[in-house]
Amino acid sequence: MEQFYSWVIGNKDIIKIFYGLVIGLICFFIVARTDRLFRISFHKGIRYFRNAFLFYGIAFIVRYVFGALCLYNLIPRNYYPPASLIFEFFLIMAGFFLFYSLIWKKIEAVKEDYTSSLLNSKILIFYVMAIVISFIDYIWQSYYLLFISQIILFIFASAISYNNYRKNGSKHKFLKFYFTAMILALFAWILNAVVALYFEWNKGLLTDVYILNILFFILFLYGVVKLTK
Amino acid sequence: MVKKRERLEVIRDILNAIRENREIKPTRLLYASNLSPQMFKEYIDELIKKDFIMLKSSEDEKKTFLLTKKGFDFLQQYKVIENFVQNFGL
Repeated sequence: MEQFYSWVIGNKDIIKIFYGLVIGLICFFIVARTDRLFRISFHKGIRYFRNAFLFYGIAFIVRYVFGALCLYNLIPRNYYPPASLIFEFFLIMAGFFLFYSLIWKKIEAVKEDYTSSLLNSKILIFYVMAIVISFIDYIWQSYYLLFISQIILFIFASAISYNNYRKNGSKHKFLKFYFTAMILALFAWILNAVVALYFEWNKGLLTDVYILNILFFILFLYGVVKLTK
Repeated sequence: MVKKRERLEVIRDILNAIRENREIKPTRLLYASNLSPQMFKEYIDELIKKDFIMLKSSEDEKKTFLLTKKGFDFLQQYKVIENFVQNFGL
């Protein structure tokens, strides 16, 4: 196990690119599959779910591919901090979209029909929050507000998905995996915050965060592949 | 107590009623849909707007509803959509 961590740390730049690409590809696959379902059904929940993975996909591609290009001096290094800002904005928005896909029914009336799910009066609040959070973090050169916002978000998302699982888990088997995915994400964010605040971005512990993140996306990929066959 | 139908189920029932009859008069569809006239109008307006159904007027001004290709596609994929929505709690 120690060898694995040393190997990861030794090859961290390459692994970061690969990690970003894998998650980006998973996300765009999920977007393609769910977009097809949305175009047939016009179901708002599917639409917000699709948006969540579109934003996750963009975030990871930006953060890792763009970041790696800077690190290898293929593009100027001063592009890196803005890339980090964009990454944080898209990551926060993705979390909001995923959370909103679980609660939209309680917020939007049946008659409410938006022409755009990416920009409407409800989603505008999320954009404002995401811009404020990512901008303050950018000025502070930290990820504190990102961690706090995502930990709170995934606590609520875990509670909602647990409630869904408790009510309908016997009929709909993926609800169990959905709840598991939310718990994984919550742990990943908590661990990420702890690593950043108390362990000065310890590479070994950070690898665990990456593993939790990959498991989160693989669970969703599994569900989407299985249920859209 | 009878469980309230989900929105997707109501749409499926309306589209199924049209498919079974090939074309159907508004009053018959209202009965088949089991909705209040106001709710029926809301659903029908939405389905026309989304191009799932169309309203045909004959020479003697009789109106009937027909299913479009999008409507057929929805019915064919209904199980997948329903399963997806329920399994992801959307």
